[in-house]
Parts: sequence; structure tokens; C-alpha cells
Amino acid sequence: MASRPVHFIWLLDCSGSMSVNGKIGQLNFAIREAIPEMQQAADSNPAASLLVRAISFASGASWHVSEPTPVSSFSWEDVHTYGGTDMGAAFKLAAGALQTPPMPQRALPPVLALASDGQPTDDWRAGLRAIDGTPWGKRAVRVAVAIGDDADKSMLKEFLANPELEPLQAKNPRQLAAAIRWMSTAVVKDASTPKVEDAKPATPLGPPLTKVEGEADIW
Amino acid sequence: MTAEQGTDRGADVRWALLTGGVKGVGKKYSQDRWAARATADGRAVVLTVADGHGSAAHFRSDLGARWAVEEFTACAEAFAHEAVRVGADAAGWPELRAEARLLPQAVGHRWHRRARFHDSSAPARGASPAQRAAAHRRARGRGTPDLAAYGSTLLGAVLTEHTLMCWQLGDGDIVLVDDGGVPHTPLSSGPDMGDETDSLCEPEPWRKTRTHWQPITGGPPPAVLLSTDGLSKSFADHQGFLDFATGVRERAAGQGVAAVQGQLGDWLARAAKYSGDDTTLVGAFGARYDTSDATGGHEPHE
Repeated sequence: MASRPVHFIWLLDCSGSMSVNGKIGQLNFAIREAIPEMQQAADSNPAASLLVRAISFASGASWHVSEPTPVSSFSWEDVHTYGGTDMGAAFKLAAGALQTPPMPQRALPPVLALASDGQPTDDWRAGLRAIDGTPWGKRAVRVAVAIGDDADKSMLKEFLANPELEPLQAKNPRQLAAAIRWMSTAVVKDASTPKVEDAKPATPLGPPLTKVEGEADIW
Repeated sequence: MTAEQGTDRGADVRWALLTGGVKGVGKKYSQDRWAARATADGRAVVLTVADGHGSAAHFRSDLGARWAVEEFTACAEAFAHEAVRVGADAAGWPELRAEARLLPQAVGHRWHRRARFHDSSAPARGASPAQRAAAHRRARGRGTPDLAAYGSTLLGAVLTEHTLMCWQLGDGDIVLVDDGGVPHTPLSSGPDMGDETDSLCEPEPWRKTRTHWQPITGGPPPAVLLSTDGLSKSFADHQGFLDFATGVRERAAGQGVAAVQGQLGDWLARAAKYSGDDTTLVGAFGARYDTSDATGGHEPHE
């Protein structure tokens, strides 16, 4: 007997614009800070084994953490900015990982967590079709955070594949940290929730990213 | 839920029934329901399990699972009487099969009627305003009542000396283990991916109900095991689950069903630790009755 794996994949925008106003630094910080809570969320569900990895995309895309790593031993090494916003390439990379194999048939739905601050510079629709074309891709729990006002929110909404959901919007470091924390915890719990077939994806609504008094939108 | 343990005598076959269920780890209460009973003067058995979906969106699924078991049992008992009446007369089988195909529709209608009645009587119980609003949006979109709160799977079987009929809506497993110890899963739809399932809460759920018919023309009936998905999902692979089913049948044959019943709770509890889900198993073991054995007995013999 064995518990079932939940594969969690970060899809992180490392385009040049992410270096403006410290976005990439705050993203690295937020992910690193969220790891303990992610570990706690995993501990509270012993029937699931949470495995984490990450893709970075800019000019092309590559695995930043290629091995599905048990969250208990997961640590974060910073991503860095390096070019355009080839989100489609990242989607295709993720789609390859969502094929069966290498994904096992006996698993809980994977989580795809996307963070981006800009407009894709490649054919992202082809990449999204590749994800939707895999058995696990179309079942994945998807969440997205738009960092700043320049993010392509309509595109991110299409990625979510649920007209009832909106991408989270982070306009300052605190909101980004809250969004990343939520993506790391609530969504993991949701991934092991039963779904009625043919129902819309039941990704939970995000946290209210309200503004704190005196807090400025810097992105 | 109902369960009868021990043996029941028919004209030529004795049945021994096995039942057990455990709550999922960390759950307040189980949303699985089940029934296993002899009927038609002990000449047939009815088995059923139902798995209420159990998440926040299905906050009344314990009721849905209970109604599923009750309505299936009511319909299946009537069917079982007819199956016993037809017996080994193959000329009557086509009509019996036709009746079996209609059974899911009868169960579905009865279940939907109860759910709609309950929902109209107590629309707000347990639902948050957000859940109610979401339910109303969904109902408006498709023009039928949204019964997702009551969602449940349903597996059932009727077993007589001469026929076996199985029905399955949604996830879970029906395993037949023949006299040689070989397991069969006649209604398997391939590996489950994630936790998606068909459900009674969908419109016209009978359209998604799978049905299996099997005449029993020689030898003892197969052991029939019905389980909710919490059991199969606790195994590292499907073969491990099939091996478990074979082991249950072998132990029942070797040690007696009562001995297996005594251990079943521990086995299911261990499984639930891995799947995290409510875990339920019911089974029936039939053995030809040796009419020269005047003393009878409490366990089937093979």
C-alpha cells in the first residue's frame, strides 16, 4: 500500500521585466518563505505525497528543479531574469511531464502554478493545447498570479480554463507573498478533493488580496 | 445501512456475506454506505456500496449515499425475486437482462426524487451563502436542479445460483474471483485518474451506469466483492488490489468467512491510512449445497 503523489509544478516568468522594481527578488523570497507552510499542508494530508518542481521561462524555458522533489526535502534556489516571455515553451515542457508516463496513472491531480508579469512572446496557445492534450493536464488544478498591471490577465484566465475564476493580482510584495502562500497551500489541499466528472474544475477561489492602508502599488 | 453476516441457505447454494467499512483518516464521519443481504428466501443476495463525494461542494453526500443504497436495495430485491423465479431457464434470460438494464433508471429516478424533495424542503442546511449562490448559478445554466450537494457513486450486484448481475456508476471496484482464484473486474473502465467520478447527482445518471450480466452454468458462483475507491487507491498498483481480492477469497475458503470478517476492519483501517478516504468492502461467497449433508453447517464449503 502507498499514498498517492500530488505533483506540483511552478511555472515562473523570468523575463527581463521581472527585474524591474525587484519583482524577481520578491518572487524568490515569497516562494522560499512559503515552503514551510507547504510542508505543513502536506503533513496534514498523509494520504498524499507532495512532489515539487519548477520551470522558469524567459527566452525559451527550462527546468529549474527537474526532479519531482518531496516537499519535506525541497529547498529553493533563486531564479534569475534572462530575456523574453516564452510561456508557450514552458507549457510544452510541463506538458511533457504530464504525459503518462512519466506521470503515474495512480496519482492525485497535479497542480500548475503560474506567475507572470507580462505578455507572452511565443505561441502560448500551442503550449496550452499541449497541456490540455495530456490526461493529467486537463485534470490539473491551475492557479495563476498576475504580477503588476502589465501582465496579460486575459491570457492567464484562459490558462485557468474556468470562466468562474480570475487570476490573482499582485501589485506589491505583500500581495505577491500572500498569493504565493495560498498557491502553495490551499491549492494543494484542493487537489485531493473529489470532483464530479464533467464538472468545471473546482479550483478554490483565491485569497482576498486587499490593500493595506498606506500601502502603495509599486508594480 | 443493513448488513447480515453468516450464512443463508438457498435451495442449492449457501451464501456467506462479508461487510466492513472504516472512516477516512482525519474525517469527521464516513460518507460511505453499504448493504449486503440475502433475499428471496435465501436464494439470492443483494450487495451494494455507495460513496458520497464528501467534499465541501457535496456537503449532503452522506444522505445521497444512504438513499443510493436504500433505493438500489429496494429495486434490486424485486429484481432478485424475478431472477430466482427464472432460475436456470435460459428462455427467460433475455427478459431478465432487459429488466436489469432498466434498473439503473428506476434507481436514478427514485434517488433524484428524494434529493429534489429534500433540497426543496431544506435548501439552506449546511450551505454557506457562497455555496448556495454557486448552486443557483449552476442550476440556471443548465435548467435542471443542482443536486451536486448529494453526489454519490453507486455499485450493486444481485447474485443467484444461476445468474450474476452487476451495476456500477462512478468509481469503486467490483471484483469477481472465480473458483480457480482468478480475479476479474468486468466493469473496470481503466485506471482512475485523480478523483473524478460519475455521480448520481448528474442528470440522467443511468446513462453512465455500466452493467454486467453473467450466467452461472457450472461450478460454484464466483466470490463477488464490491468496494469503494478508498480501497483500491490505497494500493501502489492495480495488481496489488487484485491480489488483495484474491487473498480475501482464499482466506474465506480456507478459514471461513467469519474469520475474514473478524480481520476485515483492521485491513480496511490500514488501507484508509494510505488512501485517506472512507473505505468499504462488501462481499458474497456462494457454495453449492451438498444435499446429502444432513447436518448442514454455518460456513459454505467448496
